[in-house]
Amino acid sequence: MRQKVIIGMLALAAIIFVRNLYAISVLPDEVNQGQIFRIIFFHVPAAAAAMTGSAVALIASVLFLAKKDFFYDSLAVAVTEVGLAFLAVNLVTGSIWARVIWGVWWAWDPRLTSALICWILYAGYLILRQALEEPTQRATFAAVYSIFAFTDVPIVYFSIRWWRTIHPQPVFFSKNGSFPPDWGRALGVNMLAMFLFYAALTMIRLRQEQTQREIDYLRRTAHAI
Amino acid sequence: MNAPLLMPLATLLQGQYDPIRDEIGRLQRNFQGLIWGFVAAWVILMLYTAMIVVRERKIRREMERLKNMVEDAEKKA
Repeated sequence: MRQKVIIGMLALAAIIFVRNLYAISVLPDEVNQGQIFRIIFFHVPAAAAAMTGSAVALIASVLFLAKKDFFYDSLAVAVTEVGLAFLAVNLVTGSIWARVIWGVWWAWDPRLTSALICWILYAGYLILRQALEEPTQRATFAAVYSIFAFTDVPIVYFSIRWWRTIHPQPVFFSKNGSFPPDWGRALGVNMLAMFLFYAALTMIRLRQEQTQREIDYLRRTAHAI
Repeated sequence: MNAPLLMPLATLLQGQYDPIRDEIGRLQRNFQGLIWGFVAAWVILMLYTAMIVVRERKIRREMERLKNMVEDAEKKA
């Protein structure tokens, strides 16, 4: 059943992506940027999915510390790892966009820097897990670290409102925003596909983490016998 | 003015400063950037998906091996 749900989600995401590719291609070019603005249809959904994932990781980490249920630990590591890949997509597409529009691959701007720090922090979370052997200790330390790592997420989100940045000011949920409705629709649809893809990958990773826990249990049993 | 003599010069100048050609060039460059962006995004996601698939196979193999090992040990015990 779970397998079928995952396959269904992946298939639906693929169909939406392909269908939306046409919708994106027929949109008129942005007056100053030409074609490159279309990268926003991957850049923003990847960031939104990664940020949502880090919020889920935060909740799962808090729940693990409260209940000591290893399901939440598995969920936290699954969403964090998938989120790292999506945040990498956000950073790389942003860098290519910057090269075309700003003429540089990277600028030490508050939004870009805080996003990079966020990626490094969550990569550190995975490294920390590798370093600890004992499961309860690993899960507890990782949960505390994940809560700490999340403090960077609001900084990433609000950095373009709090500081004067080279990164564009918010175009969504803002009075100054200027995103035409048909662009918004295409972005929303791509966002849905990206979230489906993210959720499917998270479910696969969650199952793998749970299986890995079973493997560890079997190893201990095999040694005990 | 010697028109036949000036024609090649005018064509050359027009070729250098043609605003339409410049604009097409700019959009073309931006289009290449867009393609690179899409390719990069999908390469990252597909590489990560491939990593998950490889890990899945490894976990299944390990699970089978351990189950057999536990069953053998139980029989012997």
